[in-house]
Amino acid sequence: MRPDERDLDEEIRGHLAISVKERIERGEDPEAARLAALREFGYIPAVRDSMRRVWYSRWFDAAAGLACDMRIGLRSLLHAKGLAATVVVTLALGIGANAAIFSVVRGVLLRPLVNRDEDRLVYIRQSAPGLGAANTTFSVPEINDFKPRASTIAAFGDFSTIDFTLIGFGKPRVVQAGVVSGSYFEVMGLRPVLGRLLNAADDGPDAAAVAVLTDRYWTTALNSDPTVIGKTIRLGSRSATVVGVLEPSVPYPADTEIIANVATSPHHLGATMVTERTHRMTELFGRLAPGASLEGARAELTAVHTAMMRDHPEAYAAAAQSQVSVTLLRDQIASPARTVLLLLLAAAGVVFVIACSNVANLILARSVRRESELAVRAALGASRGALRRTLLAESLVLCGIGAVLGVVLARPLVTVVARFAARFSVRALEVTVDASLLWVGAGLAIAAAVLLAYVPRLPSTHRPTGFGPARGGARITPGTNRRLRVFAATQIAFSFVLLAAAGTLLAALVALQRTDTAYNMRQVLALDVPLPIEATGPKSIDFFQEAMRRIATLPGVARVAVGSFVPWRDAGRFGPGFQFAVEGRTPADGEENPHARLRNVAPGFFATLGVPTLAGRDFTDDDRPGSELVVIVSQSLAQQMFPRGDAVNRRLWWTDPYFGKPAPRRIVGVVADVDDENVAAAGRALTIYHPLRQLPFGGRLFVHTAGDPYALVPAVTRVIREISADQPVERAATLEDVRAAVLAPEQLNAFVLSGFAGVALLIAVVGVAGVLAFSVSARTRELGVRLAMGSTPRRLLVRVLSEGALIVTIGIAAGAAGGYALAAVASSYLGTVRLPGALPILGAAAVLVGAAVLASLMPAARASRVDVLQALRSE
Amino acid sequence: MAKNPDDQRLELLQGTLDMLILRTLQWGTQHGHGIGQAIRTQSDDLLKVETGSLYPALHRLEKRGWLKSEWGVSEAHQRAKYYRLTAAGKAQLSREQDRWSQLVHAIGRIMNPAPAGKE
Repeated sequence: MRPDERDLDEEIRGHLAISVKERIERGEDPEAARLAALREFGYIPAVRDSMRRVWYSRWFDAAAGLACDMRIGLRSLLHAKGLAATVVVTLALGIGANAAIFSVVRGVLLRPLVNRDEDRLVYIRQSAPGLGAANTTFSVPEINDFKPRASTIAAFGDFSTIDFTLIGFGKPRVVQAGVVSGSYFEVMGLRPVLGRLLNAADDGPDAAAVAVLTDRYWTTALNSDPTVIGKTIRLGSRSATVVGVLEPSVPYPADTEIIANVATSPHHLGATMVTERTHRMTELFGRLAPGASLEGARAELTAVHTAMMRDHPEAYAAAAQSQVSVTLLRDQIASPARTVLLLLLAAAGVVFVIACSNVANLILARSVRRESELAVRAALGASRGALRRTLLAESLVLCGIGAVLGVVLARPLVTVVARFAARFSVRALEVTVDASLLWVGAGLAIAAAVLLAYVPRLPSTHRPTGFGPARGGARITPGTNRRLRVFAATQIAFSFVLLAAAGTLLAALVALQRTDTAYNMRQVLALDVPLPIEATGPKSIDFFQEAMRRIATLPGVARVAVGSFVPWRDAGRFGPGFQFAVEGRTPADGEENPHARLRNVAPGFFATLGVPTLAGRDFTDDDRPGSELVVIVSQSLAQQMFPRGDAVNRRLWWTDPYFGKPAPRRIVGVVADVDDENVAAAGRALTIYHPLRQLPFGGRLFVHTAGDPYALVPAVTRVIREISADQPVERAATLEDVRAAVLAPEQLNAFVLSGFAGVALLIAVVGVAGVLAFSVSARTRELGVRLAMGSTPRRLLVRVLSEGALIVTIGIAAGAAGGYALAAVASSYLGTVRLPGALPILGAAAVLVGAAVLASLMPAARASRVDVLQALRSE
Repeated sequence: MAKNPDDQRLELLQGTLDMLILRTLQWGTQHGHGIGQAIRTQSDDLLKVETGSLYPALHRLEKRGWLKSEWGVSEAHQRAKYYRLTAAGKAQLSREQDRWSQLVHAIGRIMNPAPAGKE
């Protein structure tokens, strides 16, 4: 209740009291006096109502006027159903796409995490840009160096992943588990939904082995069974007690099913893990100390890291350019999706602009036809404000319906976009449709309505020349004509930007898919056969030997081999590579030893995957422990290290401290280059292959088949289970499908952007066709005169076509200029922006010109068929 | 606010209520009820102002700056809002009075020879 209303109530009470008192003084009975006073006063709510009209008179008048105008607008739109439907559908597309993408952007990039005080929670990363390693993670000695020296970080939490064979919940399976320190959950600020999480008492080698289940695993695999608490499970060689279930939270950096303490993992307790500075496998989180800023933490940790590198030069190669970064966890989680989502948001924005200018065109054309109506109203005394209000009411009706439809359309779109964005950010999975969708829709609709209301020119009150109510036809003024063309050119310009962007992505994708990988992609089946930790090492050789022998006898199997790395799928599994040195080559002063990738393969590996051996021999069963240490190298390595082509029989050794004392190994063969880390930028990879028997770490099985590779999966699985009943066999896929899965995000990017570009193209083409059709119909008389004066229909046709071509040319030129300007602006925010090559630009231009010519054909044909007599009579 | 059909009272001419209120307040501050009573008694019960018109008019006049209001205690020991004429209000009153006499004069001439009046 506003103060005015309270005042009024009091005033009325005062009035009644005085009135009653006067009546009583005149001798009336008190009760009768009260009733008489009330009767005399009249109906109180009515008084209040008329007061409101005084208080809010301006708003009352405006709202009443607008409501009336909206009724009129709705009625007049019912007479132009086709136009109204086009406008509503176009707006719905624009508003729907924007609302949907904004919902996802908000959910992924802007919404806070569930973690307590998430704006103080940071993620610390070590990277080696010199080696192309975006994340080298940390080793335990490094983390121990940070802890006492960082005053800006109140507490550190660390997290590393390891594969365990989990026994105790149904079938034995290999799970990726997080192994964490006791401070981890406190630092992350997470709570349990059941039982307890891990704390300081669970830290160290002497604590009891305990594990926490993630909510996703507990609800999906265990049906939210509350009795799991206290259960004992086996994790590899050790037993652990389940103590709790973690609340739903964004799993980062890895989506694990369980999170356990250090005591569960023999590896984490081993000497390598604890003392080896280069044994990096741990992710680091921290909580900013009170008063510390993100920038402060960044500066301090960088300083600590620099000192660390100075104290241990052997662990940090200068060429690696090792560095640390500190980011808010929320930003870190969102960062891969950031570019993609901003790109989509921009694309949706462009579609909205195109939709609006198309609608503006339609409205403008309509207002030309109504010019006489507006002129009459102006002549009858309607103010310019009132006329604007009429137009605003009409566009509000249109945009309102468009927005409702758009929001309805946006709901399924959110699901699609969220699923798409989930490839880049786990947070997209929790995106839900909420009220923000409505607000965005309503906001866009109002913005569009106001813009549209200001598009048509009002009839001039000073110069009522357009006043011709008797004439039903449209007369087009040069000003209106120019506006129509400007809007059409705007649409073309924006469509061009979208088409060029989509073309660039498509071209990149096609180039990727054409890349020759040197593998036999179709016939090779790759399977993960992860051995339990206790079965790795030399014992695994016998297992794989037996598996290969039995699988080779299966019908349809051409070759079978064991390796350690499924191309692309295992990218990053062995880190950024290790340093090595070769016999007879001393690095120049200041030059580092080169880095190479390490792969372990069994004999027959290269033949099975189709990688040609260029010199020397393959491994044999005689390359075993105790015999001479041998390696096979990739072509690039051979050429780079031995430019004279004499790589075979020379020696090399790893200098990385990870391998302990350097042991020379003789090169027995050279194979073709394959880039099994990167699908996108296939580079010249330095790779050193070890015989599996001399470095027994495998776990990946490759089967070269004669027929359908997938038909063999059950047989292969059966054979392996015959050897070891609990052995998991997982993720069977041909190399082609592995690659397709890795390429899927790129494919989706190109697909979604192409979708936007297609919608934009459609709207723009309709726009150009509409402008030309309108221009032709408005100029029927002019065309008739031209024909009467001896112009041929052919010339009229060419004339209209060239008008369309002109709009498109101007649009493309504006789009190209604007696009480059936009790229310049974007590159200052997003770092490098790939400018499209010539092909996508020319392609986009060709598509637009072709579409526009097609769109102009119909109006042009109509122009050439104008009936002279009818045209002249029409005035 | 139904009107009594048997009421002998006169309808106020449109636009005259504001003038009457201003005129009534010329003699000093008054609350809404008092203004209504004053108009009634001074017109020998011929004019009666509906509260549904009186209060909106008072607030409208106040909004235009011709009246000022303040809370006070009435003779009935009841809190009431007292209205007072402002300088602008006085000027407005004299303007309206001029216009009114011109109007009466003009109509009177047309309706001649009877002196200006109604029935």
